[in-house]
Amino acid sequence: MQYSRDKNLLLTVYFLFYFFVFFFFALDHRLLSQVRPVLFWYNRDLAELTLIGLGLPRWMIAHPAAFAAMDGLVFTIPASLIVFAARKKRFSRPLGWFFTLFFALYILLADIFWQVHLEPFVVYWLLSFCFLTNDERTFYRILRLCRYYFLYLFVSAAVWKIARGAVFHGQEMSHILLVHHGYLLSGDCDTWTCGMYRWLIAHPAYAQSLYIASVVLEASFLAGFFTRRFDRLLILLSIVFVVADLVVMRIPYWTLLVGAAALWVDSGSRERAIVVYETTHHENLPALLDLAASRFPRVVVFLQELSWQNLCGEGSPSDRWPGTEFVRQAPGSPNRPFIHRLFAHIRRHRCSHLHLSTLDNNLLVFAWRIAMAGNLHVSLTIHEVNAWFAHTDRSIRGISESLARLFFQWRIGHYTFFLPSMAARFQQRLPGASTSFIPSRFYTRGPSGEAASPDIPQVAARPSGEAASPDIPQVAARPSGEAALPDIAQAALRTQQFDAASPFTIVIPGSIDPNRRDYEIIAAFFESWQPARPVRLVLLGDGNSGYAKTVISRLQNVESTIFRLVYYAGYVPEAIYEREIRAAHLFWSPLRVEKKGSRDEPEVYGQTTASGLTADLLLNDIPALVPAGFVLSPPFDKALLSYSSPADVASILDRLLADGQKLSRLRQEIDSAFSFFVKENFTGAFEELMGSASRSIAS
Amino acid sequence: MIRLLFTAFIVLQIGIDLAHSVTFFPFVHYGMFSRIEPRPDTVRLYEVTVDGMRLQPAGMAVYRWDMVQTPLEAFDRQTATNDFAFDKQQLRWGLQRAGAGKVYSLLKTNLDNTGDFPSWYKTYLSGLLHRPVRQLTVGKAWYRSADGRLVLLKKEPWINL
Repeated sequence: MQYSRDKNLLLTVYFLFYFFVFFFFALDHRLLSQVRPVLFWYNRDLAELTLIGLGLPRWMIAHPAAFAAMDGLVFTIPASLIVFAARKKRFSRPLGWFFTLFFALYILLADIFWQVHLEPFVVYWLLSFCFLTNDERTFYRILRLCRYYFLYLFVSAAVWKIARGAVFHGQEMSHILLVHHGYLLSGDCDTWTCGMYRWLIAHPAYAQSLYIASVVLEASFLAGFFTRRFDRLLILLSIVFVVADLVVMRIPYWTLLVGAAALWVDSGSRERAIVVYETTHHENLPALLDLAASRFPRVVVFLQELSWQNLCGEGSPSDRWPGTEFVRQAPGSPNRPFIHRLFAHIRRHRCSHLHLSTLDNNLLVFAWRIAMAGNLHVSLTIHEVNAWFAHTDRSIRGISESLARLFFQWRIGHYTFFLPSMAARFQQRLPGASTSFIPSRFYTRGPSGEAASPDIPQVAARPSGEAASPDIPQVAARPSGEAALPDIAQAALRTQQFDAASPFTIVIPGSIDPNRRDYEIIAAFFESWQPARPVRLVLLGDGNSGYAKTVISRLQNVESTIFRLVYYAGYVPEAIYEREIRAAHLFWSPLRVEKKGSRDEPEVYGQTTASGLTADLLLNDIPALVPAGFVLSPPFDKALLSYSSPADVASILDRLLADGQKLSRLRQEIDSAFSFFVKENFTGAFEELMGSASRSIAS
Repeated sequence: MIRLLFTAFIVLQIGIDLAHSVTFFPFVHYGMFSRIEPRPDTVRLYEVTVDGMRLQPAGMAVYRWDMVQTPLEAFDRQTATNDFAFDKQQLRWGLQRAGAGKVYSLLKTNLDNTGDFPSWYKTYLSGLLHRPVRQLTVGKAWYRSADGRLVLLKKEPWINL
């Protein structure tokens, strides 16, 4: 894919320059048929001398129609080459040779007849060799040679100036300006540029400073012979050079910039290694890391310390992915040095792939770094489709993110999503993109018969009234509040009695956030519903916010011998999170199907954004109560139990509580459907994401 | 193979660079403005007047102005060198040294210019300026520099059509 992209890029850039050059030839009356010369000149070039010796210039002067024929061919040959490449998805070697040889002939004749100056056109000629091959390795080799030539061109200019001593001659630039701008200086000289030339001529030291600066600029291209690290900077310098040449010398040398394409396309080889970047959405990494570990000899993950600690429910990430290197961002440390470290690693090790598992901040920094990273294959996990296409000019951040996203939409060709419907929506908006559906994790639960005991491990949750255990300070049980602390022995007894009654456990996963979920319906429901058997309700999200406390307070008020509330104050560690989920009988996800995204864009759960539920579902084989309107594509849909009203919820819950067989059958169906979520079924999607499975322009 | 080609390229390029005044496309020099430029006593310019109006660079695009001046420079050089007699002589010498003296005799007629430059130039200028040129005069003018300004020393008529 990279080869195909690079080839198309070169084709586009090259022929844009090419046709612009000849368009300006026509505009400035410089096409051979416009010049219709009667004399030819000796420029002391042996190739030109050969053409003169063979009599071609004389013959053409005698047969002026030949000039028109040459001009016709200078447009039609490359047009044929482009049409062939577009239709056949490969280059025609005969057409390529014809173009290369013809271009050289045209330029030599233009120099013989009207002094075109060959220097900038050598790069065009060399780059044209790229269109002679359909072999990836040869293409990049030619491009590497062109890159060296482009570097050489500048370095050579510096060496000439140093070797001939002009750089040490204090009056050099002043004298050059005098001779070069004689026509302007002899006239009215009433423009600001002419005034500047006159001033520079009268102040040789300043003029010579410009000359020395140009030599330094040209000489800096020497660095390119030893490292590709500065290639993007050198492109910038070449543009500075061209602009300065136009302003100071009135030489429009922009034609030369086509050679920058050889610097832009990173033709160097890379180590097959993937670097994954993640911030806080660690729950989305497991499947990606499973796939990466099986497809890449080297996997490096840059992530926050908290994400690393919570990447696995059980054990350490280093044990689960033993070959994977984890680079952790210390808590509280700034993001930008970490991002710098990420790209420094990619550059140092010439890693081939970068996957951005979450990209929600520092977009412009990433855009700049990726722009400077050469032919790195970049892929991205999209969490919110609409937000990705959002553009705003309401704030500096909005503008910078809009610009960055425009760049990413151009630069990144491969995206992954947690839901197939998100991938489809995205592709409608960016038709050229490659979209892959890869779940956040693979389904690891066995048949429902092997289900873990729904009993909550004691360290994970505590019934109300009990003090938090000091060994798990981050899992704060409900504080006793104003109520008198009951006797611990009595509380333990009550817990034992409650647990002995095999309570039905309902887990509401995710942060207690009113923008994402409607907890009003939860509180109202449990205030009015009388379960037929003990029910444990677990709020599996941070219960520390003001909103969460209100919800918890309402639910605490309805606690009874058959209804218990479990909640957590603070971040829920993954180990406890997963244990709660594995112990549950039912999820309840009171999503607000239409919500505001992270950038205030409207998003639709299940269609343009994925809730954490899609990750949670894969940790168990239990159904999930979801509001009507929340639609997931198969096989996720097998797990959904939709409701439109509290009465629907009551009806569903009453049936599940009364009929244990119904739940078992449901779990078997879900287990069977979710058996689809195994690594083997997503290797193709992962290869597509990594750009390995796509078709190439080359045969 | 690539290394060999690259090495060969460098060797040839250095050879061409050392040859200074000769190039062999695609081996060209990038030594523009590298020669030590002594302070010129005078600056010689071609002054082109079309139908009584002197052409000025300020009123023209850079390349268009180039196309006004470059042919004049080349024609001046052709005239001054007797149609590049030195180049032809060097070619003859080179071929003879290479044992191909007869080739020069065969090619000789191809080497000479026979065209009428002034008439062509008038026609060409008409195309360049997008208007008919009835009267064309080209003169050579010599200027001396004073504080960044150019002061006219003398003028000579050259082409008058």
